[in-house]
Amino acid sequence: MKDKLLIVDDMEINRVILAEGFKDHYEILEAEDGYQAVDILGSVTGIAAVLLDLIMPKMDGLEVLRRMNKDGSIVHTPVFIITAADSEELLLQAFNLGAVDVVSKPFMMEFLKCRVGNVVELYRHRNDLEQIVNEQVERLSNLNKSMVETLATLIEFRDCESGEHVKRICGLTGVLMTKVSEMYPEYRLPKAEIDKIVTSSVLHDVGKISIPDSILNKPGRLTKEEYEIMKLHTIKGCEILTQIPNVMDEATYNYSYDICRHHHERYDGKGYPDGLVGDEISIWAQVVSVADVYDALTSPRVYKKAFDHETAVKMIYNGECGTFNPKVLEAFTACIDQYREQIKR
Amino acid sequence: MSDMLSELKDLGVNVEEGMKRLMNNEALYVKMLGKFLDAVGNSNVMACFESGDLDAAVSKAHNLKGVTGNLSITPLYKGYTDVVALLRAEKPDEARQVLEDLLPVQEKIVECIKK
Repeated sequence: MKDKLLIVDDMEINRVILAEGFKDHYEILEAEDGYQAVDILGSVTGIAAVLLDLIMPKMDGLEVLRRMNKDGSIVHTPVFIITAADSEELLLQAFNLGAVDVVSKPFMMEFLKCRVGNVVELYRHRNDLEQIVNEQVERLSNLNKSMVETLATLIEFRDCESGEHVKRICGLTGVLMTKVSEMYPEYRLPKAEIDKIVTSSVLHDVGKISIPDSILNKPGRLTKEEYEIMKLHTIKGCEILTQIPNVMDEATYNYSYDICRHHHERYDGKGYPDGLVGDEISIWAQVVSVADVYDALTSPRVYKKAFDHETAVKMIYNGECGTFNPKVLEAFTACIDQYREQIKR
Repeated sequence: MSDMLSELKDLGVNVEEGMKRLMNNEALYVKMLGKFLDAVGNSNVMACFESGDLDAAVSKAHNLKGVTGNLSITPLYKGYTDVVALLRAEKPDEARQVLEDLLPVQEKIVECIKK
């Protein structure tokens, strides 16, 4: 299949001349003014290059370039300015808007064909490379994620649970973090960051690997001393993470570290290990806390049965599991049904 | 080469160069000369001068400059290049003078193509 070449000029003669020169190598598309050009650029794929006149009625060439900047197509589509204009300022503007080359009318057709051919080849190569890099980045990031998940699942098994707890925490963290971000501008985060937080939440209990079986799997209440040891899983987790910083990218590492250390902090300062108060605790650590508590309450453990959903929510609201940020609880109420629907499926 | 094209050559049109731009397709070149007549008909620069619409004058002269350049109608290309430059330099009287000198040349070329 031939590449497409878009010729934009209000004068038919100029379009015919250009079409004649390029028709053997390209499928030719023609536009009489900027509006038609923008239309075609927006609806046709596989345009290898644009030959653009500057001075046209209705919408001129500079405006076409501006639109292409706006929608980003200028990055992947080389635009040649073909113009009889002699104002240097106009040409400079075109260059500044991302035109790759300026060709004055009258042009030498053979030269023009070479110039266009070279640039099209270069762009093709670059676009291909970009795609290859993107694919590799995605593969790496998936690999990364699955390594982190593997690690977390191993720990969960030791905790006499399946990897399901970790998966549920991820799910609830994602739903709750998204809701918090939507409801409160001060906690707003881009989706890409929320995705990283979700990945990071996987490792919140990594430190449990350092807790003796006798405590971790004790079928009854922990003594005060045992509880103090249990609490160390937050700090131990961070120690483990500092040993394996290269398993994830820097941002994910930072989120993981923070969540690992602070997912047992409480809004009123009565949590551990640092006794942080209010928004001294990062919003992602606060979100994982709520997710962790909800999941712990609604799951059976060696020392307790599972509570039903209503009881669990009541216990969280009554502060039986510590005090939480009212805004996070508000968001929790707003999204918990959506989350329950999600896990039913 | 047809009589018309040799006659145009005598009038200063660089026929070889113009055809080369059309991959030496003589028939297409002749057809485009026909289109050029339409372009001249649609772009009466002098009328714009007379009505005082200098913006229209510069845009029409600009169009003819591009087309005559691409078809290598060299005398007209040079003339319209000057007209555009003088208008952009805000020298309308001088631009009009160049155009007045240019129109008889254009008339001869147009007549020759019409035949």
